[in-house]
Amino acid sequence: MNAVEKAFGGIRAVDRCSLDVAPKSITGLIGPNGAGKSTLFNIIAGLYRPDGGEIWFNGTQIDGLPPYDIVGLGLTKTWQIPHELRNLTVLENVVLAAKGNSGEHLLNLFFRPRAVKQDEKQWRLRAREILKLTQLDNLANEHARTLSGGQKKLLELSRALMSDPTLVLLDEPVAGVNPALTGSLMDLIERLRREGRTFFLIEHDMNVVMNRCDRVIVMHQGRKLAEGPPATVKTDPTVIESYLGG
Amino acid sequence: MTAAAPKKGPAVEPGGFPLNEFIVFSLIGGIVVIGIISAVIAGATPKGILTNLGFYVSVAIIFSVLALGFNLQWGYTGLFNAGIAGFYLIGAYVAAIAITSPAPPIVVGDVVVYPGHLGGFSLPLVVGVLLAMVAAGGAAAVVALPALRLRADYLAIATLALAVTLQIVTRNAQNITGGAIGITSVPPPILFQGTDASFLNAITMVGIGGFVLFALLVILQFMSESPWGRVLRAVREDEEATMALGKNTFSYKLQAFALGGALMGLAGALYAVTLGYLSPESSFAPAVTFSVWVMVIVGGSGNNRGAFVGAFLIYGMEWLSVQVRDQAASGLAANYLLMSVLFIALGVGALLAVLAVQFVGRRVLDRRRAWLLIAAILGAFGAAPAALGALPIGWCFALFVLLFGFAFVVDRAKKSRRARAGIYAAATLYGVGWAFILLQQLAPNAVADSFFYIRLMIIGALLILLIIFRPEGILREKKRVLR
Repeated sequence: MNAVEKAFGGIRAVDRCSLDVAPKSITGLIGPNGAGKSTLFNIIAGLYRPDGGEIWFNGTQIDGLPPYDIVGLGLTKTWQIPHELRNLTVLENVVLAAKGNSGEHLLNLFFRPRAVKQDEKQWRLRAREILKLTQLDNLANEHARTLSGGQKKLLELSRALMSDPTLVLLDEPVAGVNPALTGSLMDLIERLRREGRTFFLIEHDMNVVMNRCDRVIVMHQGRKLAEGPPATVKTDPTVIESYLGG
Repeated sequence: MTAAAPKKGPAVEPGGFPLNEFIVFSLIGGIVVIGIISAVIAGATPKGILTNLGFYVSVAIIFSVLALGFNLQWGYTGLFNAGIAGFYLIGAYVAAIAITSPAPPIVVGDVVVYPGHLGGFSLPLVVGVLLAMVAAGGAAAVVALPALRLRADYLAIATLALAVTLQIVTRNAQNITGGAIGITSVPPPILFQGTDASFLNAITMVGIGGFVLFALLVILQFMSESPWGRVLRAVREDEEATMALGKNTFSYKLQAFALGGALMGLAGALYAVTLGYLSPESSFAPAVTFSVWVMVIVGGSGNNRGAFVGAFLIYGMEWLSVQVRDQAASGLAANYLLMSVLFIALGVGALLAVLAVQFVGRRVLDRRRAWLLIAAILGAFGAAPAALGALPIGWCFALFVLLFGFAFVVDRAKKSRRARAGIYAAATLYGVGWAFILLQQLAPNAVADSFFYIRLMIIGALLILLIIFRPEGILREKKRVLR
């Protein structure tokens, strides 16, 4: 990952902000409400077009690419406000996130029915494994709309994992999740990091940010305010003033 | 028996009023009964009745295909098409132009009697149908390409504009479409001669249409329940989220919209050969679009069978109102006595059937013997009016069959929700029938005419009830339980 910099029109939600996320790290992104954190994530994931600047991911310039191509490169994001597909089941939601499911191409349905069946079977098994990790397996065949707020967050994470990403942008992954589950979720994230995945997460839970992140980036009014290991950032006077408070 | 005694036998299905089944049974029953009665008292032969019913079925099939197309676009993918009539028109005209024989202008003196129309390619029916599907699907793709990138409302506006424009163009582009007169003499699939021609033609169309509809239901079910269909439903739920899950949502929307358009083209082609002529005025008016919306909403969107059920019900109501106005009313006035006798016989017979089931069915333990006894009782009852000369023998036999069927349903009523719904529906139809006979006697024709004119209000009231009590339609979209 290389230098990220962009400006964003109207209100300068993200104002010439440059940052790096190191591979195989857990990097936290913190900042007051309205600092432009979620906007930044949406820009990286391709949902918003940047007005300027460049975004590089694993040696590929990804700014301006459509979101589905960015997912194809191995960069997935979750939503702060869960975007569950309400009238699909939890399992369907997760299976949908699989990359390269041959049955999703119309022609394959008719010309390669066996491969389609095989593929779908495998992805369903994989989805079930992921749902076990996120402890949603007993709700697999319920409509996603029936989940509680915290469970929807878990569904977001399950979907992100299903796409087998190299970099996951997690927008407040544990907001609304109960403390015990938060712990095991962060354990899971750390384990996945050791397997070689990178996590970049927005979080207001300072416990999570300070204990689990390798590096923390602080944003304020669309700009990067500070960056460094959690311990350093915690004591930075500008950060205390704008975000952490006395 | 005390109240605490445990129940024996198979579990009783949950109680409550079986609303769905009741609506479906009453409407289907009404369509069949009025279809038969109106035709019979108007003096039609069995072939005439079948021709009449066959016409209803083949047009209902056409609407089903339209509804299936719209369901693919809206029910599955969430794309709102406000110009169904336009794609339908394209299919009908393309098919008609492809399969008719040449039709040069007819000029008498200086007056152009018929402007002629393009084509006269005399192609086989299958080719015409395929061309119609390609043309309508292509048109859908062309409209969708710019509109799908914009917000959803623009798609509705673009398609509505297309439909209205096409209707005006077909009316005015005389050399291509035959103008306001349209395209006459579209050849039927098989050309029959002689007195039975219309009967045989109706049967052929029901056969072809039924085959097409069945094949479509199977294929669409396979497609929409596949991973591909799952992406469509995901787009419907939340397009942005689906994009973030790595799906090229634009491509899926385009596929669904074009395929839906192609189905509407197929419906148009079926319409052209079923009717045998085309004119731009009423068949392709915006009202067609609205009817298809209602069909999909009533039947239950996101569910292929729902689209099909909705089409048969809504078109059934339309057809019924025409039948009542054109045939039943005058026929009833002329056959008041016959109808009264028939209805009295039906009522008494039904009572007898209930009693027979209660007493014979419960007392005689050997089932086969019990049913033989019930059949004997009802048979004797059915034969009585014939012996007295009050009803023709054919009617008496029909009466017996009806009553025996009713006895069978009554016997199942305790256990089956459907059977209960059937009884309620039969009772409702019976009551409506009496009201109709009496009102007709009091105010000849007023009833039929007003029924015809207030039918839209009735449909509207039904829709409101449906939206209050069952917003997801008669057949709700099922939850997909994956293993």
